[in-house]
Amino acid sequence: MEKVIEVQHLSKVYGTHEVLKDIDFSVNMGEVVCIIGSSGSGKSTLLRCINLLEKPSGGQIIYKGENILDDKHDIFKYRTKLGMVFQQFNLFNNHNVLNNCVVGQVKVLKRTPKEAEDVAMKFLKIVGMEQYLKAKPKQLSGGQKQRVAIARALSMEPDVMLFDEPTSALDPEMVGEVLKVMKKLADEGLTMLVVTHEMGFAKEVSDRVVFMDQGVIVEEGSPEQIFNHPTQERTREFLKRTLS
Amino acid sequence: MKKRLRTQIIAALAVLPLLIGILMNSAYTVTAAEGEASAQTINEGESEQNDNVFRVGMEAGYPPFNWTQSDDSNGGVKIDGNEEYAGGYDVEIAKIIAKQLGKELIIVKTEWDGLVPALQSGKIDAIIAGMSPTKERKETIDFTDIYYKSDLIMVVLKGGKYENAKSIQDFSGAKITAQLNTFHYSVIDQIDGVLKQTAMDNFPAMRVALQSGIIDGYVSEKPEGISASSKNKNFVMVTFEDGFVTDEEDTAISVGVAKGSELTGKINEILSGVSQEERQQLMDEAIKNQPGSDAEQTSLSWVVSIIKDNGPMFIRGAGMTLLISMVGTVLGFLLGLMVGVIKTIPIPLKKGKRILQKVINAMLSIYVEIFRGTPMIVQAMVIYYGSALAFGIHMNPVGAAIFIVSINTGAYMSEIIRGGIVSIDKGQFEAAQAIGMNHFQTMRNVVLPQVIRNILPATGNEFVINIKDTSVLNVIAVTELYFQTKSVAGNNFRYFESFFVACVIYFVMTFTVTRILRYIEKRLDGPANYSMNQIQV
Repeated sequence: MEKVIEVQHLSKVYGTHEVLKDIDFSVNMGEVVCIIGSSGSGKSTLLRCINLLEKPSGGQIIYKGENILDDKHDIFKYRTKLGMVFQQFNLFNNHNVLNNCVVGQVKVLKRTPKEAEDVAMKFLKIVGMEQYLKAKPKQLSGGQKQRVAIARALSMEPDVMLFDEPTSALDPEMVGEVLKVMKKLADEGLTMLVVTHEMGFAKEVSDRVVFMDQGVIVEEGSPEQIFNHPTQERTREFLKRTLS
Repeated sequence: MKKRLRTQIIAALAVLPLLIGILMNSAYTVTAAEGEASAQTINEGESEQNDNVFRVGMEAGYPPFNWTQSDDSNGGVKIDGNEEYAGGYDVEIAKIIAKQLGKELIIVKTEWDGLVPALQSGKIDAIIAGMSPTKERKETIDFTDIYYKSDLIMVVLKGGKYENAKSIQDFSGAKITAQLNTFHYSVIDQIDGVLKQTAMDNFPAMRVALQSGIIDGYVSEKPEGISASSKNKNFVMVTFEDGFVTDEEDTAISVGVAKGSELTGKINEILSGVSQEERQQLMDEAIKNQPGSDAEQTSLSWVVSIIKDNGPMFIRGAGMTLLISMVGTVLGFLLGLMVGVIKTIPIPLKKGKRILQKVINAMLSIYVEIFRGTPMIVQAMVIYYGSALAFGIHMNPVGAAIFIVSINTGAYMSEIIRGGIVSIDKGQFEAAQAIGMNHFQTMRNVVLPQVIRNILPATGNEFVINIKDTSVLNVIAVTELYFQTKSVAGNNFRYFESFFVACVIYFVMTFTVTRILRYIEKRLDGPANYSMNQIQV
């Protein structure tokens, strides 16, 4: 299987606090990987290091065979290949729904507005937000915002989608609509890396589950393996806490 | 006549850039070539100004010596760069001098405090503005022989206790004042047992004080006394046989010229050909011709007739104020935007770029601190007169005014914008970065539109402040609303009514601007809820 992103010996230090310790990890094309773990385990930091919102303190990130931490590497171009969905949605407040999905395509990918709108429409339909094209973010509910945010990331037609706890800031009744969209995307074969607390989603949708604790990957494997036959004590404890 | 310390201080400030310029020149290795070049430009500037014209500076607001009128009646001369005309005793004298010099007379209307710097920087050739050749002034400029001499008098209320005073000692026990920083104020001590009041800044203030009974009289000079008593029927002028003891340099007025100017001799020769009778005749005519109706009217009807008589002057003044403040606010906003964006660039990873960023940020901070930390009136003096003195650059007053307001606004706005950028949610930056935008794309497409919305109220504030603060720019000969009003009031002696009109105009301008901005804010915000009726496509 072709590796899209490979992380080698990645570390991240804030002052004296080591958030990530020597992480080795990869995502294959077409794979859905869920990262689980308790708060502060470093899973969000790992995700943010992958698209360089946080600067790694050491190690390498290999994207399609190239180390993107090289000085020469164009990080702006690299970021267009990774779609990011944030916990707090972070829709551009000054743009309406359609423009949120168009602005990046036009300004960064240099697509024509017409082209960009067609692409945006395609993805807004997939997330079921095509009726709200002219709405401003403040006029939408949390679930609606997150679906637009997913469409915005998809509109850049990235190789990998990164989800940073996409449902954690939502009211319970809105979690379902977002997870439904994500499941749909997974079924279509999109490469996805999801940091989540939704164990049901991880169990049902992912090809591989990664359990992190205190800045290291404790265990990874198929959902079946992680949820039903964890080999590590820490994994068992975490699952006991969250599933009970 | 009028004597103010402020003039000297501001003149000294205007010389500051000259000193800086000299220091900088000597610091350069290419000193010789550069020094010559700049010396040349100064000379060129001077000769350009000197050619075939005689440029005379005056306030055009100190009747009967000089005033502003709307047509060329009674020998009025058009004011340079302006639709109005100047008239008065000074103008008549200036005409005689210009004619005999064989040059064309150009009247440059300049605020009192701007006269000496304007002369020093070569913007005008002479000051003919009822100015006394005092010792202090003689240190910075030269004076010709005197062209008018007057006596000190006292202005009191008609029908009052002091109307029939004969000697200054009759004012024993009276509350008397005079203009601040003038010799008028110091001679009050010659009256025994007088109740010397705090000096006042200007004649209008003293007239109001007299009218309202706060003072019993003020010391003035004959022409002013005649004007005041003829314009306001409640006032009467008291002349003395046994009057104040004065120094001739105080009561005389003469033409101010640049130090070492060849004009001194020529003008002295011309003045010697004007007889005492002719001078008195010119002064009598000036007093007779000075504008303003002396009909008894109520305040309200005064306001109406002031608007009727001077409507175009007010409108032009308001237009100038609006032009300067609007263009200045817009340019200042753009400048502030640039500075704000540059100052918020994230720290670059490479060392060379980091050092460059530090240098640029330090320079921008210096700019912001200097222009926020000094008054606009001082900046105007330093920039407008300083650039002429030090570098021979003669700016157009309106251009200079817009420049000054712009960089001033820019300094304030850059901090407002920086604050606006900092206050935008970090998530907005991250989301923009995550789809591959660089700093400037992020700013342009995501952050600044939100910042601009958020700082609209602060921008409106700046605009309103600018509308009001342009009133200090008359020191660099910009005829904006405040200066025009002063001229109107100086002519008709109805200070309260004239400034009331200006007050209303200022308020209408600022209020309109605030309302328009509020409307824009509402439009930008849109409705709070998304109505499904809006659905299209």
